[in-house]
Amino acid sequence: MLAQLKTGEKGIISNISKADALVRRRLLDLGITEGSEVCIKCIMPFGGPYMLEYCGQCVGIRRKEAIQIEVERL
Amino acid sequence: MEIALLGNPNTGKTSLFNHLTGSYEYVGNWSGVTVEKKVGLFKNKRATLIDLPGIYTLNPLSKDEGVVTNYFLKEQLDQLLNILDASQLERNLHLTIQLLEYEKPLTIGLNMIDVAKNRGIHIDTNLLSHRLGVQVNPVIARSGKGCDALAESITTVKQCNTQKLLINYGKVIEDAIIELEEMLNGKQTPSIRWLTLQLLEGNPYVREYLHQWVKPEVLSNFVNGVSQQIISSEGIMTLEQFIYLKRKAVIQSILNDAVTYSEKEKTPFTEKVDKIVTNKFLGMPIFLLMMYLMFMLTFNWLGFPLSDALDSLISGPITEWTINLLTLVGATDFLYSLVVDGIIAGVGGVIVFVPQIFILFFFISLLEDSGYMARVALVMDRIMEHVGLNGKAFIPMMIGFGCNVPGIMAARTIETPKERLLTILLTPLMSCSARLPVYALFVGSFFVKQEALIVLSLYILGILVSLLLAKIFSKTLLSGETSLFVIELPPYRLPQGKALWRSTWDKGKNFVKKAGTFIFAGSVFIWLLSYAGPNGLNVNMDDSYLAAIGGVIAPLLQPIGFGSWQAGSALLTGFLAKEAIISTMNIIYFVPDEASLQGLLASTFTPLSAYSFMAFILLYIPCLATVATIYKETGSKKWTIFSCFYALIIAYVISLIIYHGGKLLGFT
Repeated sequence: MLAQLKTGEKGIISNISKADALVRRRLLDLGITEGSEVCIKCIMPFGGPYMLEYCGQCVGIRRKEAIQIEVERL
Repeated sequence: MEIALLGNPNTGKTSLFNHLTGSYEYVGNWSGVTVEKKVGLFKNKRATLIDLPGIYTLNPLSKDEGVVTNYFLKEQLDQLLNILDASQLERNLHLTIQLLEYEKPLTIGLNMIDVAKNRGIHIDTNLLSHRLGVQVNPVIARSGKGCDALAESITTVKQCNTQKLLINYGKVIEDAIIELEEMLNGKQTPSIRWLTLQLLEGNPYVREYLHQWVKPEVLSNFVNGVSQQIISSEGIMTLEQFIYLKRKAVIQSILNDAVTYSEKEKTPFTEKVDKIVTNKFLGMPIFLLMMYLMFMLTFNWLGFPLSDALDSLISGPITEWTINLLTLVGATDFLYSLVVDGIIAGVGGVIVFVPQIFILFFFISLLEDSGYMARVALVMDRIMEHVGLNGKAFIPMMIGFGCNVPGIMAARTIETPKERLLTILLTPLMSCSARLPVYALFVGSFFVKQEALIVLSLYILGILVSLLLAKIFSKTLLSGETSLFVIELPPYRLPQGKALWRSTWDKGKNFVKKAGTFIFAGSVFIWLLSYAGPNGLNVNMDDSYLAAIGGVIAPLLQPIGFGSWQAGSALLTGFLAKEAIISTMNIIYFVPDEASLQGLLASTFTPLSAYSFMAFILLYIPCLATVATIYKETGSKKWTIFSCFYALIIAYVISLIIYHGGKLLGFT
């Protein structure tokens, strides 16, 4: 899953259907969906949000969503 | 002719708007809903441009996005101007396709071609224009390059309505479009093709709109029918996904033709900065340091000397000239007192703080324009999550430090209704710039050595109380709803001097305007109340109407340390506008300038009661303009009244704790 990636690691999203519907919609608006290659830019401390990079744009999501998103590590 | 400006968030829409329209603009309301819209006149005066909130799609999630959809459904618009971020073309084109389906003339402003080039993205604008079937003008909105050509082409070239069909969604959906057209039977509506696709995508505003002609059950059956056919024939999970993939395929093929990629530069500037400011360990300390710097500059290092200089100008030469002038024309005692004790004291007392307030607004604009604000939301999210909010709620609160009114309006970008309501209710606890003069006055007389520290403590008190209340409210009044946090972090951009000044001025001019109108009228009124009494005119202040009114609530304020009629009447006027507290005090204590007022205050307050008074001012009630905004934004009398009362109660309790706690600890 996405939350297991470390800072600087990349992965391709394989399944996003378990994430919250609104979060999924918002990520889709930003172009992030199954098949998107994302890179973890940073992880905020104390279980804070994850900052992802996709095609040169950065997006912040919560850890609890990152746990729900399955990825294949690159 | 009306042209609507549309684009994704963070694509440089505001810069483009400013370049296209020059300095002329006004703010009006949308018909039906009281949501602000910004309208500007093109420099060549041939058309007006309407600035709409940034959106990713026309199918809305937040209230902000709903404004745009409503506009598309209900207003007569002639033409569309779509701004695209060249470095994020794929996702930007999803919106463009929906706009094209609306079947109105559309022009594209392709922004940030320079940024794209640095990332190794090269776009053939002619080919893009040819594939989309619309005019594409490359621009650099930050510098204004290409904006004149864009304005020229959109306002003078004759635009035609018919555009080529970009996407064929397949037989099922194309048939559905015809079916809906039959259902609507020639009604005056926006493009049927657009309506059908939005309906099938699940756009709640479009569904609501269609209910005026088509029965809800019929519409539901229609959507379900199409959905089942697509799901069974295409093997796809949802209809929404099907439409998305169709669009994506077409966008991919356009991009394959029109875009070429080359080697990109090593590490972009943004990534270098982000390595530091959103660093695991440094993120929070850096944020606090920034706040501290902003605060010290506004209050201590820069703002204070400037305000002092302005104060001596007003209390010195300006008052002198006015007195000379009044003597010269042989003014009566009444007029003399009205001008000197009423207007100069009241309005002047507020004008003095213009420099500090502009500096504060400048920093808030700087944070917004540079892209740091979104990082703050990211850094703060974990803390906000604990109290039932999300990091995005921190942005309205930061803006609230300038003025609560735009802060509350900024809450529109928060997607879930519960978090939005909570943010609206709590933003008034942020210490706005109008409260700053009150602190400045009191710390100047009681806490000369720790000025900045004392004021900082009040700001922090406001934040802590709001976090605490957020926790309580989200557990009790507003429990249950889920929270959503997805935030786009725009690349850092060096703010342009002119744009920065413009957005500072936009925010600050209201303060100046208010001083010239509201505070002016208020000062005259308050002075009149202090000049007249039950026994006639020119009475001793203690026998005036003002003293009588303030005296009514004074006993209530006794337990929290400041039970004088002066404090009572100042608090009453503070409901109209927080800076009116200063005007009232200046008038009451008969003094033309800050320094002598501070001397007088020392005889009626102790340092402890002064702190209790400041805390009370911070929390006690949102000002009139804020209350009106809360009502507009929540549309609920219940929550508006609630926002006033909970604040009053919490202010009383906190002041009580400060005053009596302080006494127990041996402070005076």
